[in-house]
Amino acid sequence: MQCVLIASTAAELLFYWADAAFLRRLRPPHAGQVGRDREGRGCVVRGHAWALTRQRVPQGPALEDSLNTLFAPLIISCAALLEKLADTYTCFATERGRHLHVLHMFGDCLYIAVNGDGTESEDDLRRTLFVLRRLVEAHCGLVTLDSHLVRKELRPADSEQRERVWSLLRGLLETYSHLREEDQSFAVEAVERLIHPQLCEQCIEFLERQVVQYINTSPERGGDEVGHAFLLVHTKLLAFYSSRNASSIRPADLLILILLVQDLYPSQSAEEELGPQPTAGKVLPQGPKRSESIPVSGPGSHGGAEKDSDDQDTDDLSVPEVYYTPEPSPGRHSTGSESWSEDAEMLGTGEADAADVQMAEDLLQTLGPLVPEASNPRRIFLDASLREGYCPLLPHTMHCLPLWPGISLVLLTKGPMTQVAVTLYQLLDGFLVLERKLEEGPEAGAPRSYPFLAELRQRMDKFVKKLSGQDIQLQNTWVDFKNKIFSRSEPGNSQELLQAVANVKRQLCSVYRQLFLASASHSLSQGLRDRAQKLMRRKLLDWRDFLLVKSRRNITMVSYLEDFPGLVHFIYADRTAGQMMAPSLSVTEKSSSELGKGPLATFIKRKVWSLIALARRYLQKGYTTLMLQDGDYCCSYFLWFENELGYKLEVMEVPVLSDDSAPIGMLAGDYYRKLLRYYSKNHQAEVVKCYELLTVHLGIIPSELVVQQACDLARRLWEPSRIPLL
Amino acid sequence: MLDDNYSMCSGWNYFFLYDGSKVKEEGDPTSAGICYFYPSQTLPDQQELLCGQIAGVVHCMTEISGVPPSLIRLRKLKFAVVVDGDYLWVLGCAVELPDVSCRRFLEQLITLFTFYNGPVHRAYMAFSQEELSRQWDRYIEHIQKNTSDLHKIFNSLWNLDKTKVDPLLLLKAALILQTCQRSPHVLAGCILYKGLIVSTQLPPPLTAKVLLQGSESPGQSEPGGEEQREPDSPLPQGVRIIPVFLTEDEVSVLRDFPVEWMTRSSVSPASPRGEKNALCSQAVSESTGVHENQDLNNISVQESSEQASSTAAPEDAVQSGRLANTGPLKGFPEMEASTKNSPTAKLLLSRKASFPLERDTKQLPSPSTLRTAECAQTTGPYVEGFSFPNPYAQEQESQSMGKSLVDSDVEQRSFQSYPATSDSPAISSPAQELSRRNSSEQDEQGTMSQNSVSGESSGAAGGNVWGLDCPAPAVQPELQSRSQLPSVEVQESLPSDPAENTHCPRSGESGWPPQVDSLGAQAGVESGKQCKLVKMSLYVHCIKGLVLSLLAEDHLQEDQSSIEDVYHSSLASLNGLEVHLRETLPKDSSSSAKTTYSFTHYDCVQNVLTANLPHTPGPLDRHFLRAATLIHSDFNQLPTASEIIIRNASTAVYACRNPVQETYFQQLGAPLRNSGVPNPHDSAFSLPSKAKQKLLKHGVNLL
Repeated sequence: MQCVLIASTAAELLFYWADAAFLRRLRPPHAGQVGRDREGRGCVVRGHAWALTRQRVPQGPALEDSLNTLFAPLIISCAALLEKLADTYTCFATERGRHLHVLHMFGDCLYIAVNGDGTESEDDLRRTLFVLRRLVEAHCGLVTLDSHLVRKELRPADSEQRERVWSLLRGLLETYSHLREEDQSFAVEAVERLIHPQLCEQCIEFLERQVVQYINTSPERGGDEVGHAFLLVHTKLLAFYSSRNASSIRPADLLILILLVQDLYPSQSAEEELGPQPTAGKVLPQGPKRSESIPVSGPGSHGGAEKDSDDQDTDDLSVPEVYYTPEPSPGRHSTGSESWSEDAEMLGTGEADAADVQMAEDLLQTLGPLVPEASNPRRIFLDASLREGYCPLLPHTMHCLPLWPGISLVLLTKGPMTQVAVTLYQLLDGFLVLERKLEEGPEAGAPRSYPFLAELRQRMDKFVKKLSGQDIQLQNTWVDFKNKIFSRSEPGNSQELLQAVANVKRQLCSVYRQLFLASASHSLSQGLRDRAQKLMRRKLLDWRDFLLVKSRRNITMVSYLEDFPGLVHFIYADRTAGQMMAPSLSVTEKSSSELGKGPLATFIKRKVWSLIALARRYLQKGYTTLMLQDGDYCCSYFLWFENELGYKLEVMEVPVLSDDSAPIGMLAGDYYRKLLRYYSKNHQAEVVKCYELLTVHLGIIPSELVVQQACDLARRLWEPSRIPLL
Repeated sequence: MLDDNYSMCSGWNYFFLYDGSKVKEEGDPTSAGICYFYPSQTLPDQQELLCGQIAGVVHCMTEISGVPPSLIRLRKLKFAVVVDGDYLWVLGCAVELPDVSCRRFLEQLITLFTFYNGPVHRAYMAFSQEELSRQWDRYIEHIQKNTSDLHKIFNSLWNLDKTKVDPLLLLKAALILQTCQRSPHVLAGCILYKGLIVSTQLPPPLTAKVLLQGSESPGQSEPGGEEQREPDSPLPQGVRIIPVFLTEDEVSVLRDFPVEWMTRSSVSPASPRGEKNALCSQAVSESTGVHENQDLNNISVQESSEQASSTAAPEDAVQSGRLANTGPLKGFPEMEASTKNSPTAKLLLSRKASFPLERDTKQLPSPSTLRTAECAQTTGPYVEGFSFPNPYAQEQESQSMGKSLVDSDVEQRSFQSYPATSDSPAISSPAQELSRRNSSEQDEQGTMSQNSVSGESSGAAGGNVWGLDCPAPAVQPELQSRSQLPSVEVQESLPSDPAENTHCPRSGESGWPPQVDSLGAQAGVESGKQCKLVKMSLYVHCIKGLVLSLLAEDHLQEDQSSIEDVYHSSLASLNGLEVHLRETLPKDSSSSAKTTYSFTHYDCVQNVLTANLPHTPGPLDRHFLRAATLIHSDFNQLPTASEIIIRNASTAVYACRNPVQETYFQQLGAPLRNSGVPNPHDSAFSLPSKAKQKLLKHGVNLL
């Protein structure tokens, strides 16, 4: 029983996701027949559960109403406590933690995650909320700074639009929680690279010469410029190229991008990928997302291991054949993944019998045009430091060009309006500082005398002038603000000033929204993208099968066993670069991992996942070393700092964080970046790097030997891997 | 280790009892529902805000998840919550206090209250709010006063530091208790000295409640309700008799097996302290024997149990002995409903017992699974073992602990079929209704199947039990118990059903569904919400710092001669013990020599803590306490974890545990410079061997 929702402090529902079990609770009790298959079916993957839900549970307004009724007292109580106690709920737990509710306020939005089946820990739920927040930011940009505008973005008045936004976020949430459970790089929140130095180098060169330079010099690019191009094989990064004048991409953002790509073109079992490709090289897997993963036999025959395809039963319904060969028409291309909203469109298609499927197909076709804004290419807001300045949410456009199932080329472009975004951020930032000063009250001095105000005024004047009356409202609020704060006679009281600041901020956000959210996104022309795709495919054609296999067996434990007897598993992370290395542990595949696919592999995987959680809990409380004798295994965790030359720096007191602080990781809050900044304060002169090592040994190995091996392992893994740096 | 002067901020911010039934209508003021609020100087607005919001949000959460929350966390505060019908108890603590401790403190408060005042609704009908508020004040003060930093982490009692006392004194104390036990009505007792336990025959949860008597110096005995109730009874000097309320289980334990509780410590591997205790208790059982101190009625029953056991396997013997001892329960007038109820009470316990098994099946088979079961058992808030002590189990020491637990589990199951079978159809219909509701609610398939398996296996044994208690011929019960297996399962799954907990447990004074509900709601065995409480007498005799507390049948207070008997048989020895203790106990326990390490050893079966932390913790001790807090809660969550080393820049802490105890060790002194990178020469990894070596002299054997 799970549910995630966003509500405004006025108890307006801004977004929700809930599984079937939870939605069943909302139904009137007399409809209790289907209630039997409740959450006991742990194996039901959420996508599927969602599909069931849609057929049986009241939809739309009715459902929202009952959710609202259910949660309103809680939301209102949250607001009341915040107002009167300056404190608010963060967590509710029942005995033994079976039912958990985690709450977090982001600005004026209250995020709530509920788990009623004991499958997720408090940290999991909080992480989900922070990731959801990150996804909202990535899709709404700086608009998230204004509670009123972000409400409009998350809950558009138009119900079709709302359904689209919600299914986008729902899909991403589901993909995220799936990846977090299955993929080590999402479990530890670091990018995993495909280890093949030569190919990586070749690809980078190819991306530079044949892809990025070609596009950037082409007149067809329509003002957009490719800043970054990278190749993904499943969740693993094969090669990454940034053009010279582009700002660097933070690893946290790269991981978000991988999440987006996985959501568009999810991984599937190896067998299906490597299966015969009809006229490989010609047919593009450009069908709706995940269509490739559908076996002919239909959804009923999925093996339990095929999470991915199970996940997408809804999509299955729309596409009956396995080998989907779409028309390479522009229309199809530009709406490469209507499936975002397929959930919505597929209402009423029940079990996948042929007639239904046919109907679904027709339905899909007729509904096609309803999806004007394709999610690929997609506007995405990423952190960037440019020459012009810093912007935490700079608009980019992500073009995901699938080469084959599992292998994608991703292009990140920036439009011509980048400069405006930077300016907007600087202005907003200035007003945020001003707001904080004003909230401090009169102690901070007369508002007019704030040193930064003059500069802010100048910039703002310039900006308003530049817009040259395009935005009357901004102009008006700015004049109003100036009158209040700079008027010689009677400087307004701080309450009024705060209101004026808020108005200006809202207008700035509104401009940002107009420019980057409301307008149709720029994108490279179809021809350019086709060409890039074709070139890249030609380049990698011979490597395709190799890459797909390699991505499942990136690092094998076998190669370490001789030197490290008793070692069962390890994860090594370079937190400065946001990258990790670990032997493959993908037990969901038909072609199993080294440990096979039986209970042992699952057990080891669970052990690793629980070690990750445990290490995080101790790191949150300031402990950087952990050694645990756990049943028949001995687990260890180390975090340390080095300078660039590999010289080990002395350990420091790591901040002790509260239970409700941002989760340890990279996707949510970027803990490691903060940690590095914190550590670097005392090491101004050198570049500080942060590393982590987790190991799982057999319990019979004496602990001295475990430490010795961890020591050797860290040294061995540190050695330059010869993969070109990012 | 702790003296009465020891006090510090306990981290309690609020405690309140809220009666939701008084605030039903729109116009009802929130303040009407506030029965008690601590601290009392809190502004009324604030009181109403907290009560109103928490009560409201608890209701809302119950709507959403079907179960009331037991813990509500804010950014700076956390609240433990217990819902009992319309009553809502809430304890607000600083957010640093571990969740489990927050819950435990609330539970302690509630159990103290019910122990001395009976069920809350009754207490509030019988006594004025002011008087009960004084009681709450007293309990809060008692618990807070005795809450050291370590007590915030571990659920431990306050024991005399036995390394500082002549073992003969402990033996003497034990003998005094046994002598008292021979007096009619007296069941068991404990001796406290300045709030510390010298010797106890009571299970830890009961001892904890009786400890309240020791925390008050004799002169300051408050004008509490209990004394006013019997001002005219001519009691000997220094003696009080206080009515107390025990749960059915507590009572049956006392009546059935008046054994020395300290005996358990002989199980703990080779600790010298434990050996001493074992010595004491051995002497105890030799000198008196178990049966002698029971009244005639009981003896006859014991005999019948022995008959049964001679024909049955040891396990069966345990069961029959168990049941036989419930016989006397019926003899007392106030127990009418108890036999009907007691199996229900067992329901919960047996479910708890089955819980670790359930978890086991989810775990992969590994050599440590047996240990898992053991750990899970012993780390629960109160160990089931206490609820079902049986002398036979102790004799069967060759049997693993897990096994004996399974046995007790089986034993309980046979009881559960009792109400379903022998009662009228009126009972079966609510049960059916519940089963229907149950199937539409969450299905705890794991539990069900587990239970059905063990239920099956208990079939034969159950038959044996039946024969003793039912008037029906011995053959028939066997059939009965078999045929009723399905309904047994249904009932067993009830307590686990969250949706069932929302009702007022005592809304109906009797009858089936409310009882089931209360059991379901009561996840902690000791939360004191049992509907049926048995009134008993607590005989308290204070001699300066020494307090003798005896739990006796309620008749004791009417039986003047018995009181005299107890008084005179113990007076001289108590006086002597008091003098000896006063002379031997060091005045200042903080005089312990400077050590190069800190340690804490926690016996989670007896709830005994041994530690060498100073009274005012320094920075390194704070690190130690923080680490212990974290690890203790992880030990609870990771049943297979046996050893942990954690390290930050300032210190490293080593912790290890086995099913019955946890040990924490920290090396003092400046930490060696290190980088945190794995390094075999790192001193942190030599902690285990250091701990093994250093702790031997404290009687902690980690080898």
